Amino acid sequence: MINQSNPPFVREPFLKGYLSHEKNLSPLPKEVDVLIIGGGLLGASLSYYLAKEGVEVLLLERDEINREASGTNAGSFHFQIALHQLTPNMSDKEKSRLAAEVKLQVDAAKLWDNIEKELDADLGVFFDGGIMVAESQEEMRVLKDKEEIENSAGLESHILTGDEMRTFAPYLAPDLAGIAFCPREGHANPLLVTPTYAYRAMELGAQIRTGCAVLSVEANSSTGASHRFKVKTNRGEIYCHRIVNATGAWATDLSSQLGLNLPMGLSGLHVNVTEPREYFLKSMIQHIGRRLTLKQTHNNTFIIGGGWPSHPESYPKRYSNYWSSTTGNLAVALRVLPMLKDVKLLRTWTGVWAYTKDFKPILGESSKVPGYHVAMVPTGFTLGPMVSRMLAEYISADKPIHNIPQEFSVDREVLK
Amino acid sequence: MAAAASAARHGVQVALIDERTTFGGQIFKRLGPGFHLADPADLGNDYSRGAQLIEGIDHRLITLFNETLVLTIEGSTVITSHPRFGVRNFSFNNLIVAPGAYDRPVVFPGWTLPGVMTAGAVQTLVKTQQISPGRKILFAGSGPLALAFSAQLIKLGAPVYKVLESAPFPSPLSLARLALNVGGNLDLAADALRYQSILLKNRIPFLYRRIILKAEGDGRVESVTYGKVDRNWNLIPGSEVSESVDTLCIGYGFFPSHELLRLVDCSFSYDENKGGFTVDKDRWGQSSIEGIFAVGDGTGVTGSYSAVAQGSVAGLRIAHLQGKLSESDLERAARPFHRELAARNSFQKALNKVYSIKPGIYRLADKDTVICRCENIKKSEIDPIVESTDDLSVIKSYCRAGMGLCQGRNCQRQIAAMISEKHGKDLSEINFATPRFPVKPVEIGLIADPSIQEEKYFIT
Ligand SMILES: Cc1cc2nc3c(=O)[nH]c(=O)nc-3n(C[C@H](O)[C@H](O)[C@H](O)COP(=O)(O)OP(=O)(O)OC[C@H]3O[C@@H](n4cnc5c(N)ncnc54)[C@H](O)[C@@H]3O)c2cc1C
Ligand SMILES: Cc1cc2nc3c(=O)[nH]c(=O)nc-3n(C[C@H](O)[C@H](O)[C@H](O)COP(=O)(O)OP(=O)(O)OC[C@H]3O[C@@H](n4cnc5c(N)ncnc54)[C@H](O)[C@@H]3O)c2cc1C
Repeated sequence: MINQSNPPFVREPFLKGYLSHEKNLSPLPKEVDVLIIGGGLLGASLSYYLAKEGVEVLLLERDEINREASGTNAGSFHFQIALHQLTPNMSDKEKSRLAAEVKLQVDAAKLWDNIEKELDADLGVFFDGGIMVAESQEEMRVLKDKEEIENSAGLESHILTGDEMRTFAPYLAPDLAGIAFCPREGHANPLLVTPTYAYRAMELGAQIRTGCAVLSVEANSSTGASHRFKVKTNRGEIYCHRIVNATGAWATDLSSQLGLNLPMGLSGLHVNVTEPREYFLKSMIQHIGRRLTLKQTHNNTFIIGGGWPSHPESYPKRYSNYWSSTTGNLAVALRVLPMLKDVKLLRTWTGVWAYTKDFKPILGESSKVPGYHVAMVPTGFTLGPMVSRMLAEYISADKPIHNIPQEFSVDREVLK
Repeated sequence: MAAAASAARHGVQVALIDERTTFGGQIFKRLGPGFHLADPADLGNDYSRGAQLIEGIDHRLITLFNETLVLTIEGSTVITSHPRFGVRNFSFNNLIVAPGAYDRPVVFPGWTLPGVMTAGAVQTLVKTQQISPGRKILFAGSGPLALAFSAQLIKLGAPVYKVLESAPFPSPLSLARLALNVGGNLDLAADALRYQSILLKNRIPFLYRRIILKAEGDGRVESVTYGKVDRNWNLIPGSEVSESVDTLCIGYGFFPSHELLRLVDCSFSYDENKGGFTVDKDRWGQSSIEGIFAVGDGTGVTGSYSAVAQGSVAGLRIAHLQGKLSESDLERAARPFHRELAARNSFQKALNKVYSIKPGIYRLADKDTVICRCENIKKSEIDPIVESTDDLSVIKSYCRAGMGLCQGRNCQRQIAAMISEKHGKDLSEINFATPRFPVKPVEIGLIADPSIQEEKYFIT
């Protein structure tokens, strides 16, 4: 039984500042150097990093900032290798490929270490470690492979079983087969990160328009260098030199107008949140064989997710929830953390998640349509700011640089 | 209950579900366990009207499910939970949603102090627990219910010493209009007269054009301030009066509990006097979704007489849809109820000319007033966000107002009004946040279902 939470505490306003409604709705400029489409974490952080380099940038968002995946996700840092990446009996080649990915995650962790300082804001960043549980001996073997790969890539993780596990995490179900503990894992508040990036970007001179949906993109070679693209929106036309498509789950819509076939798919996900209870759970909890992420936030509520499906609807209606996703997801949570039994479920919600079949980002400039860039990444909350910074470095460089791994290519084949 | 009874009368099998321990809803509610009623007359004729309905339940056709909370509706299944029996699903051919209303929260400095209570809460205490919440109660509200509530409370022995009504004294014209429409509403008119005489007999002052301004006290209400208002319920400066009290009872009407109806995505219209968003329905009570009916105060607040008539009509219609009642028998059986509803409606319209909610009710908070009481968010924290957006969901996500236990039932209309003032948007254009289940909080242990398996990520 977890004690009732104290009454909500009085605190400072969450955000350091807010965008200006008037500016958001003001007319579009005639032309701009870099046009970013999509006001999620990718678009907002990219605006920030580009504006910081002094690049002229305009961000267009069809709705308000942070209303889609970036504002509906569960806020977990996925630094440990996730279950979908692992298979039993992996070859050495597969292991070294995974190790390269882990290095990316280690870099992202460093960015998150400094982000609150960089943006001068409280973003609810916690680095209190992550626990990955295993229920069976088979899952334990996967957990051990995972530990080996992670340690070789410089990501610390430890396996604990039996009494050692029970002493370390007495709140867990005592009969679990074992856990891996990764001290570097954590979480942050997705409701604050993107708006803060957008606000800081605006301070640095980035322009932002909300309620502005891009309807079509035309690459026009005859209009000269500064007018490479002609973009139609519900609020008029604009010309630009370069485009970044950061529309998340909708990235295929505009890319296909240019003949590009992005190697991605999308899926609706389900999240649960409970009433607040006394704070006790510092570490995030995941399951190596089942869909579960579970954490207690700084508001003392528990957020329970892990990739259970939601029911598709067509935009602008939000995806609806399946009852079975709630009851199934909560059962996994209870299996691992039985003391949640009497905690009340308060609300559920959904978000639309964009993924690639190879789980790598789609990042960089298309070689087929020069000037057209895509910024998209499946574990986008964890890696979004970091890949944005990479892309900003690429775009703002004076001469062409090759800082983005080839395997992230926009033009790579769609995997089956 | 009226809907169930009328459908069952024609042979329809009904499951009647209510989260409370007893049936009767808000107005016909029974005493709490362990309480006895010496004289039913003390609780007024509502109690006996309720008793009639409850005793008239035909248990061969109507199965009662108490303590059964509806959590969501998915397709043609109603999903519920019971504190001891857990989840239970009901699949339906036709569904009648009648979730009732809750007291309209009014946000003013001190509204969250202990000792400030809504009329419904005070009424429930007095009716089912036979407890008076205080020794000196000021009643502040508006509309016929303000009169009814305060009179009932006095009758039951609660020491209300003064009643404030925000509307002006009815003009001769509007009184005439009321009189013209009184046909078919004599019961209501008689109720009103009776209530008025209770106030007179007990020499309770009833002040028009007064609104509550603030409540103050150390840890609980010790004094209140009210003032005179103009026609839009805006304060006339200099008219403030403070008095010491130990309880403040607030009765400015109700909001429909439309969470379930929003969840199934029925279409809605807007009517401030019926509590804001009201569900669209045809003359049988069917919503925009075929097979789903909506009746009573949960669809727009029109009172208990109208609720019973709406329920009866919907029950008949369903009997017809299930082949138990011919078209012509349906029309015949429904005619008296339709006639009653028409009369109730025109009386209601005339009443709205006298008593309608004015924008001043949303202008009482000052910068330190807590707007979202679950998450403790003050007006000064919300103001700068309202400057930056006209989207309620964005405000919610930036400061957590509306994310707490009540899921915005208490604060969202107030924040919508702040948006409306700032951006010149009509209240009807400002939507609540996206509806989601569960409509009320429920223990994880009650609903978790280990038999549900996700597809595996990897092949073992
Ligand atoms: C439920 C859920 C849980 C998740 N949990 C995690 C997690 O715990 N950890 C993690 O690392 N990742 C998680 N993810 C993934 C992560 O949230 C996303 O990868 C990331 O937010 C993607 O950011 P984005 O900016 O690319 O997309 P989005 O945030 O979706 O932003 C795209 C924006 O583009 C706008 N847009 C689209 N089309 C147009 C157009 N034509 N014109 C103008 N604007 C347009 C949209 O309105 C939207 O605001 C989760 C995702 C979901 C859905
Ligand atoms: C606090 C209050 C006091 C009132 N006092 C008076 C008065 O003195 N005189 C007068 O004439 N009128 C009064 N009214 C108005 C009168 O009560 C209503 O007009 C009448 O009760 C409407 O009937 P209804 O069936 O629509 O709703 P209700 O009587 O409110 O019944 C709704 C029922 O639905 C149940 N319910 C709601 N949600 C769920 C769910 N998710 N799962 C399961 N069950 C659910 C509730 O438990 C409740 O029993 C009052 C209303 C309120 C709210």
